[in-house]
Amino acid sequence: MKKIKVGLAFLLAIIGIASCEKDDICVEGDTPLLVIEFYDIADTASLKNVPALRVVGQGQAVTVNTVADRTALNKISIPLKTDVDETSFLLISNSASAENGNETGNIDTINFSYKRLEDFLSRGCGFVVNYDSLQSTFTTGTDNWIKNIEIIRSQVTKSDSTHVKIFH
Amino acid sequence: MSRFFISLSFFLIGFWAFCQSEPIDLNPKDTVVYQQSYGLRLGVDISRPITSFLDDNYTGFEIVADYRLNQKLYIAAELGNEKKTRQEDLYNFTTSGSYLKVGVNKNTYANWYGEKNLIYIGGRLAFSTFQNTLNDYQYFNTNRYWSPTDFTNGTGNVPENFSGLSATWLEAVFGTNVELFSNVYMGASIRLGLILAQKEDERFPNLWIPGFNKVTNDSRFGVGFNYSISYFLPLYKKKNQIEKKIEISTEGEN
Repeated sequence: MKKIKVGLAFLLAIIGIASCEKDDICVEGDTPLLVIEFYDIADTASLKNVPALRVVGQGQAVTVNTVADRTALNKISIPLKTDVDETSFLLISNSASAENGNETGNIDTINFSYKRLEDFLSRGCGFVVNYDSLQSTFTTGTDNWIKNIEIIRSQVTKSDSTHVKIFH
Repeated sequence: MSRFFISLSFFLIGFWAFCQSEPIDLNPKDTVVYQQSYGLRLGVDISRPITSFLDDNYTGFEIVADYRLNQKLYIAAELGNEKKTRQEDLYNFTTSGSYLKVGVNKNTYANWYGEKNLIYIGGRLAFSTFQNTLNDYQYFNTNRYWSPTDFTNGTGNVPENFSGLSATWLEAVFGTNVELFSNVYMGASIRLGLILAQKEDERFPNLWIPGFNKVTNDSRFGVGFNYSISYFLPLYKKKNQIEKKIEISTEGEN
């Protein structure tokens, strides 16, 4: 009888451990965002707000959902494409609409190219994409508001550190 | 005349005692010894074929066996093959492979006369070799700016095979074997596994192991069970060894 009790205790222990299993939800991470900070071209150590900044992904009809639209900002986090190795954005300073709906701000196009690295995080998350060998190009013109771009970190694995500095 | 016979009877009654070659034992010892059956029990798991029939994403079978060593101890083993496809939120994979578990069972059930049942606790060392196939997957991304309708598909989207995987684990078993009718047993057991070592691919870890079941994040434990029908093949009989009982007097103690 005593041994049956030991067995029952063992059974309860198994049920107990089995029910402590974690739920399969993703808490381990995410596909990172690209973090850009805006610096003053005259004083490259100090942050400088871009007035009424609007960020639109090239080919998209809506503005990037992680950036407050038409606000003065010195730091933005934007998503890169996970299905191709490059992503272009239209960065508009002094963004405003004319009466006919046309954009009156200064539009600069910036292109990021990178390698995509797949990473399996956990059962709940599955695969995320990390980016490596980040490079940027921007269309140069006479009235560019962007003067220079500097890649601080070419590896994008986290959304909490700055990867790119833009001087204006 | 009758007096003669009665006298003779009284006289002859004395010879009774002399005719007896041995003194009469009024408490004869029982010479009929109950012999316990020893042999090999072979069977199959019935839950796995039933699950295979009901679940399109699973096929499997398991053979179970045990061999009686002594009064309480049995050598036990399970041999099986399983194939399972799991659909997670953003990926789908198939694991297939074989496993072998070897260990002992200790019967803790005190059978009544003629009973041959088991309620046992046991341990196993288990080993499995298997392969994983990542059938398809999508990238997890909480930002849906570039793909508002669905997650983007993983590169290529062709099934990717990871072979040569293996795992070794310890298993604690609690189970029972009940004789339904002569030499035919029905068994059930639950198992708690603890992974000792496993070989997994860096790109895609082992999420399910044949014989072990689901592998949980950051945990080396797993649970399993089986239900079996088995046949006991009696090979020889041996009587029980009498356990020496030491009686401890509790009198005089408070």
